[in-house]
Amino acid sequence: MTKTKKLLLAALCVWFCLVIWGAFFYAPRAAGFKGESARIVFFHVPQAWVAVVAFCVNLVASLQYLRRRDLKDDVRAAASARLGLLFSVLATISGSLFAKVMWGSFWNWDPREVSIAILLLIYAAYFALRQAVADPERRGTLAAAYAILAFVTMPFLVFVVPRIYWSLHPDTIINVQGKIQMDSRMFQVLMGSVLGFTGLFWWLYSLETRLARLRLHRDQRGE
Amino acid sequence: MPAPESLFWVAAVTVGIWLGIFFYCLGIERRLRQLEEEEGL
Repeated sequence: MTKTKKLLLAALCVWFCLVIWGAFFYAPRAAGFKGESARIVFFHVPQAWVAVVAFCVNLVASLQYLRRRDLKDDVRAAASARLGLLFSVLATISGSLFAKVMWGSFWNWDPREVSIAILLLIYAAYFALRQAVADPERRGTLAAAYAILAFVTMPFLVFVVPRIYWSLHPDTIINVQGKIQMDSRMFQVLMGSVLGFTGLFWWLYSLETRLARLRLHRDQRGE
Repeated sequence: MPAPESLFWVAAVTVGIWLGIFFYCLGIERRLRQLEEEEGL
């Protein structure tokens, strides 16, 4: 590991500890929320954000695979989709905990909840498709074409649908007023958390792609 | 309304979970580097 990478990882470790401290002790209690429930937002929103970033990376890698037909691009596409799915599941879990405290039920058929459930199914189908095709090149092509179609639905499901229909979710950052309706300390912690989760995503993405390349290398050697 | 002590314990558990994830990934990072060196990558 290079010295720069060691420093970056150490910084990530400390950064997250600071974010956790900030989320529980620096940010004030949010008005209009039950108890301390709003503090979960500092983890829930960045998880959803990272899922969107991962699906964007999946789109770029899929397009590159269709252009260059390099299996390394397919590996990158699969790694990012896997992480996107993981962070979507985490966002769903953290969101349902918040829902239980705020609205009394883990699942309320809110437009955002339904949207993320559909998104999870769409990207789960991406892996079902990958599993169904044995030939790596054919798998790469089909998965890349599917990933492009899947991505088209993502902005619609994440950003459009929840804003068309009435939602239980508070729109404190992206709203029709076009203003950030959040305490400045809460906003600082939220942005710090978004940065930390994005750093964590890039680290996990690097681990996933390196592991997959190692497998690819072994497969190509015929082991 | 939870007492400040309970908030402290939630934060402590969250830090524990984070450190667990961090050191687990660090272990994978080291093992991967070792395998990459063995494979000449």
